[in-house]
Parts: sequence; structure tokens; C-alpha cells
Amino acid sequence: MAIEKTDVVIVGMGAVGGIVAAELGKAGMKVIGLERGPRLSTADFNPHDELRYFQRQDLRPNWKRQPVTWRPHPSATAHPMNILNYGNQAGGGTVHYGTLSWRMHEDDFRARSQTINRYGSSAIPEDSSLADWPLTYADLEPFYDRAEYELGVSGKAGNLQGKKIDGGNVFEAPRQRDYPLPPLLDDQSGVLFAEGARKLGYHPFSSPRAIISQPYHDRTGCTYCGFCQSFGCHVGAKSSILVTKLPEADATGNFKLLTGTMCYHVKTDNSGRATGVSYYGPDGSDNTIEAEIVILAPFIYDNTRLLLLSKTDKFPNGLANSSGQLGKHVMAHIMAKVFAGFDDRFVNIYMGPSAQKQTIDDFNADNFDHKDAGFIRGAQISIGPADLEAGPIGTAMAMDPPPGTPRWGAAYRDFLAKYFSRYGAINAQTENLAYADQTIDLDPNVKDQYGMPAPRVTYDWRRPNERARVEFLMQKMEGIGRAMGASKVWRGSLSPGAPGAHHEGGTRMGSDPKTSVCNKYGQTWDIPNLFVIGSSTFPSMSGFNPTLTIQALAYMSADAIAKRYKSHPGSLV
Amino acid sequence: MAKHDASRREFLVRAAVGAGAAAGAAASGGLVPGVAAQEQMSHMEGGASAPGQQHPNGAEHGAFFNHADAATIAAFTERIMPSEPGKPGARDADVLNYIDLALAGAYAELQDFYRRGLASLDAHCRATYKESFVHLTPEKQDEVIAALEEGKASEFTYPTAREFFVTLRVHTMEGMFADPLYGGNRDFAGWRLVGFPGAQAIFTPSDLKSTAEFTRAPIVGLQTTAKGPMGRG
Repeated sequence: MAIEKTDVVIVGMGAVGGIVAAELGKAGMKVIGLERGPRLSTADFNPHDELRYFQRQDLRPNWKRQPVTWRPHPSATAHPMNILNYGNQAGGGTVHYGTLSWRMHEDDFRARSQTINRYGSSAIPEDSSLADWPLTYADLEPFYDRAEYELGVSGKAGNLQGKKIDGGNVFEAPRQRDYPLPPLLDDQSGVLFAEGARKLGYHPFSSPRAIISQPYHDRTGCTYCGFCQSFGCHVGAKSSILVTKLPEADATGNFKLLTGTMCYHVKTDNSGRATGVSYYGPDGSDNTIEAEIVILAPFIYDNTRLLLLSKTDKFPNGLANSSGQLGKHVMAHIMAKVFAGFDDRFVNIYMGPSAQKQTIDDFNADNFDHKDAGFIRGAQISIGPADLEAGPIGTAMAMDPPPGTPRWGAAYRDFLAKYFSRYGAINAQTENLAYADQTIDLDPNVKDQYGMPAPRVTYDWRRPNERARVEFLMQKMEGIGRAMGASKVWRGSLSPGAPGAHHEGGTRMGSDPKTSVCNKYGQTWDIPNLFVIGSSTFPSMSGFNPTLTIQALAYMSADAIAKRYKSHPGSLV
Repeated sequence: MAKHDASRREFLVRAAVGAGAAAGAAASGGLVPGVAAQEQMSHMEGGASAPGQQHPNGAEHGAFFNHADAATIAAFTERIMPSEPGKPGARDADVLNYIDLALAGAYAELQDFYRRGLASLDAHCRATYKESFVHLTPEKQDEVIAALEEGKASEFTYPTAREFFVTLRVHTMEGMFADPLYGGNRDFAGWRLVGFPGAQAIFTPSDLKSTAEFTRAPIVGLQTTAKGPMGRG
């Protein structure tokens, strides 16, 4: 059993961990990062293999060894989910993600008060725990800017200091400067989507993505090979933490990465301070790190799980849980889909960055009038392949044939042969509301490879507000498909209640210690030297992919720790 | 073995050059100890041993299936993706070979699932038609598969009829469309069926602008490349 001492220990070296490690290392703090997976390199991602990386999820946790269970409601039995959409290596999900990099809208940070001001409090479903964030867009803007420029995001501004710019996202919050890199080129699905959306009076634009469209920071530009979502980038053009912040952290000389390590306990003392963490090494050894600051930055499930598992006599309901809010208000996007098939031309959707290529923001957030709509909040609508990557296995798994065509046999074979290269999937990524009874806790029956109880998710997106929104969006997407000139337009199937991608919540941030787990810096109210940084702190989710917001929060927290907490430990608010 | 290593290296170099990237060619590894890394290394080494996994002595199966089960799986998967001239199906792609090898390796934990499922399938066919699956007409075979899909075959317990159908469908698609390295998709039959060019390292701006079928380059697999530009078989 090894015992090490350090200033800062970070659990999980993904979107958050890499940024915090690099920034605190630069501030002269000694940092140890724990990562349960390996550290791979760009050379490991050549050549691309759809079976291994998409279908068998090689860059994601093994769902049998590291199960996460799901049940739709408390009286159902939970079973392990067989797709886990997060990372299992240094760099975390940023290694295999689709790279969508959004700044949330101004009203995303105050979804509750925005709704009440515009539609009255009765517009919010009675059982929803929709809440404002304890910070504004303006607070986070400098850190969004840093993330875009330090990591490398390609896009076109649509709102430069209040000036609306055609071709960018005219609904975006004002930005101080344009993206560091021009937008990625469109493939034919993007061209068709943009033309169709414009015909309907919408405002399409090339989605901002953390893929460099030109050489940047000694990295080579995108080659448009199409292997993005589920895959590591074979030229390092994807601005993953692996090729951006980890080398920076290494260069500080203050950072040590321990791969193959599984943190199972956060240690606290009788004074109520965190003293470090315990972890299993790759050889099964039981080890301890003593640290002045403990930062939790794994995917959201493990924040709640670790805090619950680390309970003591002083913290009998789990660490940082005096509010009783730990594990609650869990959210996830679901993807409602409409397929557009073309008889008279090819689309070749396997070309170019694979995920959510072109977007309209017209029906997201509160960008449109919800009066009498029967629901609040919206979705980002975009074009891409059936399951965000365009290989034939993914297509056979995720492209539902139109009504009347079976899923097997000669008719199915002919459908696949015809439309594989002649379709696009229009996709609505919905902002599902927070509800207190959507939770993460410890599964009493299922254990992982370490003998720890699996995180158990209790969640069902099919609430009245969410169902009404999906129906509204389906109709909008069908309209776009027809405006694209598709020969056939048909709806995809919806998930049976299970959470989709981009999970948020469980360690909600807020301005009141009685109703939240942590403050806006991710600093827990109960234990000032214990931080939780990542999407588990989101009070609401927005219709946008969360990664850039997660990264901006990581920069903001690291900045506060380096500039203020380091010299004056204690509450940052 | 040496020949395969050379072809793999050739692919790596070609892909890196095609991408204009120095990063890919300097394949220094970069792996560190850890469970997943070890798995990856063993996987890569295993992959490098054969371009398109094959059974010894040219056998068609036997890594897991016996003769009777192999015949059933071949017939079943052929109904899921039927072969016709110009339209390669499960037989042309050697989906049986893919599943047989997968069950002896990556999917070994599903051996019991398959054994029990095949026994239940046989019981269902004998109870309903007094014949085993392979001796039924294609029309009757389709009736059986439809019954499984709809969960209407009471002979199944674990796996359920529906689970067995779904798994066979998924594994058929994997055998059709996974890289030939894994033993199916023989001669890129599946990729030719749908017009997928494989792991192209680069698409040019004019490729992105094209509204026609992509035929500029040969199909690129992990270790083998199709002869000549791609086209549908």
C-alpha cells in the first residue's frame, strides 16, 4: 500500500481533469491525476475500425465490468445499460466525442426565471425542479473564450459584441471575438440541410466543433475522413484533452498521471476536511494519496457514487450531502430523429466530421415563442448520420427503415443498399427538464469489477412536457426533410425512456447551501477543499452539447483556485 | 506473418501520407500499463496475425459451432441478409465465419446464449413444422424468424425468442459490415453492397461537393485494399 502526498489530487482526467491539471500545474501546485483507463496517443487511432470502436465501444467503459444500471421508475428492476457514452482513458470522452462545442444561451443560465417572466410560473411543470444557475453567461464568457482559443474550435460568429452576422448562429449569446478557426467544410448533407432550412426561413450554420479546420498550435488540420464520433482522430485534428491540455500539464513539471487507477473512496477527517483519496492500482493494490485539495472530475455517475460511498459518522448521508440533494435532478438529452432519403442523388454522409454537422437554433432554448405550445424549452436541430457516425454497422443499427419496410430480409437489404449513401438524419437534441425524482444512487444488486455497487440511474424522459416537445420537433424536422427535397421522409423510433447522451446533474450547483451540493466553482458547501467539476453540477442542461460549458467551468474553477483559494483557503463565494 | 506485418505497416504509412500528417507515421505506441491498454495491445497483435481471420485448413467453421449448428446459423443469417447476383448477402460475406470466430473469442460469454437459443429454435421448428430449420423452405424459414421477432415462439426461455432474433440480426450486420479482418465481409462483400469505401484517410473538397457515387479510390480495409477503384460487386 503506497501513500503519496500532493497539493491537488484530481479523479478523472477527461474534459475537466486535463484543464485543471494544466492550469494548477502552471500555478506551481503539485498535481496527481487518477485515470482508470490508459493514456493513448494519436498513433493508436490509425487505422479506423468501426467494429472495435463504434460497435464494441473500445474507448468507452466496458458495460459488463463497469456497469451502470437503469430503471424507468423506482418499482422497476434496474439492468445494466449496454451503451455507455463516456470515456475510459486519459482525455476521457473528448477522445471519442463528436466535438460539438457550444456556448449556452444567456437564457439557458436562467431558464426558470426566463420562463416565469415570459409565460408565468404555471408554464413550468409542477414536478420539475428547473432552476437558474448561480452564474450568468457574462461571468462565463471569458472562460468560453479561453477554451475555444486554447483548445481550438472551428466556427463562425453569429453575434459579435451584439452585432448579428449571417451565416453564424444569430441566436448565440454575444461573444467578444470570433472563433479562432474558420468553419469546417460542409458535406452534401450539410449543404442540403442548409438549403432546406433557409427555404423555411430558419437560420442554418456550420456547427462549432473542436476540430481544427486548419493547422493550429503545431497540429495538422482535419482530413474529413468521417471517423469522429466513437473514434480517436488519426491525425490529431480533434482538439481532445489528449492532444491539447495533457501535454501542457506534462510541461509544467508539476503533474503526475496515474493510469489504470480506480478511486473508490474520498477520505475526510473529524474536522470535516477532505484529506485525500484511496484508489486501486492496475495490479489491484490498495493505495492512498493525501492532498490539500480533492477535485472530482469523472463522468457524472461516479461523482454521486463516490460521495455516497465515502460516508462517515460525521457525514452519514454521504459527503457534501447536508442538503439531501446529492444524486438528484439528473438530466439527459434524447435524440428525436427524422430520416430524409434521396432517390435522385448521392449524399455520401460518411464524408466529413460525423456528428451534428449543420444546425438550426431557431427552436432551441427560448428562441421561439412557447405561448400555447404546451411545453417549455427546445432543442438544437442538426443533420448527421443515424447514430452520429456513418459507417455501415452504425447505419444498420440506427437507421430505422421507413414504415412498411422490415428490418431484415431482401427488402431490408435493398433498402440499406440504396439509402446508405443517399440519406441524412435530422436530429433534435432536446433540453429535458430537471426533476427531483430523476436520480443516481447505489445499486443494491449489481457490483462492478472492483466489488463496488454500480451507479443506478432512475430516469424516464417521457414526461408530458418532454413528449409534447418531441412531437412539435418531429413535425418541424419533417418539414425540413421535405424542404431538403428528399424523396422519402420518415420518423425514427424513440428510446423507451432510457437516458440518451450528455448526462447532467446529481451534484447540482446553486447559491443556497440548503438546496444545492456546491457553489458555482464546484466547491462543495460542506467541505471547502472538496470540489466537483463537470456536468453533474448543471442545474439545467440546455439543448446544446455540454462539453465546452464543462471546459469553461473547469477554467473558471482552476482560475479561482490558483488566484484565490491557494493563498486563502476557504469558501470562494 | 511477416507479410501481414508489412502490409499493415504499408497501410499505416499510406494513411499517414495521404493525410499529410507526420503524427501517424511516427507510430511510437504511447501505451501505458493498464487493463484497457493491455487488451488493446493483445488485440492489435492478434489482428496483425491474419488479414481476414480464417480457420486452419480452410475449414468453414468449428472454432465454436459443430456442423449442425453451423448449418442452422448459415441458413438463418442468409434469410436475414439474402444473397442474390449483384447483391451480396450473408453467405457471400461469410457471416457464419465471423460469428463462429467471435463466439470463440470476443463473444465467448455468449456461447451458452447461442447453444440454448439454437436448441430452442430447433424445438420450435420441430413442434411447428416437424422439421429442423435448415430443412424448411425459405418461406417457412422466414415465418420462423418473424415469429421470433414478434416473440411468438414459446419454446424459448433464456434467451427469449426476441433476444435471440435481435442478437442474430446484430451479429449478421457485424459479419456483413465489420472489416474483413474479423472473418466476415469477405472480399468487402458488405461494403460493396452498400457502397462504403472503408477507412479512407482523407476526403478532398471536391469529394465533399460531389452528388455522385464515390468511386475515386479503392476500398480501404485494415490490412487489405480492394484491387482498383471501388464499385458495387
